[in-house]
Amino acid sequence: MMQLFFKRIGFILLLGIGITMLVSAGSLWLLRQSSFYKPSFLVHDIPEKDFDYIVLGASTGLTTLNTTVIDSVIQTKGINLSMDDTALSSQYLMLEHFLAQGKRAKFCILAPSAASFDANDPDISDNDYRFLPYVNEAYVFQYFKQYTSTRAKLISNSKWLPMLGVSYFNVEVFYPSLFTIIQPKKRNRFDAKGNYTYPIKNNKDAAISEFKAFPVSFSNHYVAKIKALCMANNIELICYFSPIKGKKVSTETTSFSIINHSDVLKNEAYFYDEIHVNTRGREIASTHFANVFQTLLK
Amino acid sequence: MLFNSIDFAVFLPIVFVLYWFVTKRSLSLQNVLIVCASYLFYAWWDYRFLALIALSTLVDFIVARQLQKETVLKRRKVLLFVSLVFNLGMLAFFKYFNFFIESWVDAWQLFGIEMQTATLKIILPVGISFYTFQTLSYTIDVYRKKIDATNSFMQFAAFVSFFPQLVAGPIERASHLLPQFQTKRVFNSEFAISGFYLIIWGLFKKVVVADNCAYFVNQIFDGYGSYSSMELFLGAILFAFQIYGDFSGYSDIAIGVSRLFGFDLKTNFSFPYFSRDIAEFWRRWHISLSTWFRDYLYIPLGGSRGSTWQNIRNVFIVFLVSGFWHGANWSFVVWGGIHAVLFLPLLLLQSNRKHIASTKLSLQQVPMLVLTFVVVTMAWIFFRADSVRIGYQYILDIASFNSGATQVFYKTSKTILFTAIVVVSIGILLLFEFLAIQKDKKEVELNRYTAIVIVILICFMGVFKNPSTFIYFQF
Repeated sequence: MMQLFFKRIGFILLLGIGITMLVSAGSLWLLRQSSFYKPSFLVHDIPEKDFDYIVLGASTGLTTLNTTVIDSVIQTKGINLSMDDTALSSQYLMLEHFLAQGKRAKFCILAPSAASFDANDPDISDNDYRFLPYVNEAYVFQYFKQYTSTRAKLISNSKWLPMLGVSYFNVEVFYPSLFTIIQPKKRNRFDAKGNYTYPIKNNKDAAISEFKAFPVSFSNHYVAKIKALCMANNIELICYFSPIKGKKVSTETTSFSIINHSDVLKNEAYFYDEIHVNTRGREIASTHFANVFQTLLK
Repeated sequence: MLFNSIDFAVFLPIVFVLYWFVTKRSLSLQNVLIVCASYLFYAWWDYRFLALIALSTLVDFIVARQLQKETVLKRRKVLLFVSLVFNLGMLAFFKYFNFFIESWVDAWQLFGIEMQTATLKIILPVGISFYTFQTLSYTIDVYRKKIDATNSFMQFAAFVSFFPQLVAGPIERASHLLPQFQTKRVFNSEFAISGFYLIIWGLFKKVVVADNCAYFVNQIFDGYGSYSSMELFLGAILFAFQIYGDFSGYSDIAIGVSRLFGFDLKTNFSFPYFSRDIAEFWRRWHISLSTWFRDYLYIPLGGSRGSTWQNIRNVFIVFLVSGFWHGANWSFVVWGGIHAVLFLPLLLLQSNRKHIASTKLSLQQVPMLVLTFVVVTMAWIFFRADSVRIGYQYILDIASFNSGATQVFYKTSKTILFTAIVVVSIGILLLFEFLAIQKDKKEVELNRYTAIVIVILICFMGVFKNPSTFIYFQF
């Protein structure tokens, strides 16, 4: 009697899961062929191999350093590989991904939020799923495997069972992959050089007179890991502190090259929120950065 | 342990294998396994609650045994009273203690008298409303001599704690479920397969319909002041589908899981949004609770046998108590009251049993169907709102026909995607239910191919990242 039951549920589960698995594998393949998320954008839309610099960071790096402005000011070739809602661990993964494509850079500008330099990252970041299409790559697999959370396990196990990650992140992975069938060149909120900007929400013109100290001690071990990876590949690491409304980063470290622009914007009109600049602020911050960076290049 | 969790996906096959392959030869062992599995299932939330369920089981087992032996009516009444006080007292303390105190203070404040409040930090044990009603029905039925008290504590413990329906029903009657623990279970493949289909369908309702609706419902109800009338109205409609998908999905999974173990639970939902009037809605919605109130409250109050006024009073009492059963908040009482008011015209016109025989729908009945759905949806607003005032304001905001500024359903590509998923999933739900009604079926019928399609839909349309807990767990 039980045979019929097992046959029936076996048929349903095997076929249902089998089809889901095929569709999921197809979904990841589609994303790998597209420019939708930054990891595949880097592979497909960026044919250049050598760069003067790359920007690695979270939303702060993504929306503060406009590589188009920097390149036009100091005649360099850069690319912004920052992804919003990511931690230093993700930025380490992005650097590995960049190098795995056979690409090279002279400088790596590490531009996460100031707090990230001292954060402890016990889990993957919210947007790390964007590396899911590359889970078969050893460095991506190892990255997710080191974490114990359910979502990290689902992604790492997607190497063998792609439906795990694709179903779990269906809104973020499956549906965008369908979208890329129609528009494979569509980028998810970044331009052709990887930049994004926050709009000007209001025209509040108020000078910022007081900057409170924001101590940073670089306790996040991923800073050292990123530095080591950079050194191994002849890349010079520069830690960049983007403008913060009313705060100035203070640090005593001598282990890292630092460009501290946390207090360069002295008017609220340049800010989108407490830690992000808007389009106007980005223009000024990028120019400031270009001028300082130029001296380092010499 | 949630039905839609990895924990349960591991737990269920293990218990299934132990049940049918290891303990199969002994009924007692199977019952012991069910009790152990159920207690483990329950302890997954908070092991401290186990003492409550064990105590409730023990008290009602002893009381029922004494009731069985006792012949003196007065003593029998005392025994029943003990069970009622214990079960309802436990419910009152854990669920309503703070509510009573706060309401008491609020009442005095109406007369300008300020009182000091002293509430306790009480955690509501999951499913307490369900299992206390189940044990109560057992004692009352023994008292009424409708059933005999069981001699086996283990059988009774299994009946009270049976994990598929422990935390959110269906509320089973001892006369229906307890005998199933007393007889040898034989595996029936067709029955188990129908259970498996119900599990898949229940998961679809919960993970796809309810949890996707929750994405909008939570936003709209939490910030109702900033949404347009149309958005508020649609938010209420989505809540109607959220709570239906959530609760009936749980019931379907509970019934399905029970069938895997050879148990037959009663239908708890019978396509309620295809009702043509409120009376029919209550014959289709949370059937195990409405029949419980009918048998243990409405009929003892006199049912429909007295004068019209007595009849109206009884209906109001049942609906108000039913509302209050759902939670310690006046908004639930108002929700129950609205249903009583909506039921009243049918009662007075004696047309509350109009659709009792016919289940198939015709095109001419669509306006009544839509009207019933809309009034039920409006009442749901009080069910979802945090207070009566908010529910009232929500309805006023709908009635104000303001255009508002927020386009919650299409402001970003992500919300457009969620809107599409919600529309498609509700469409699939209604289509399958409509087909079942037209075929005069009690539950949605799947076959191996539609089941595969539903599995695939669950994978690609379900909410797994931020799953909501089942709404009825809080009751």
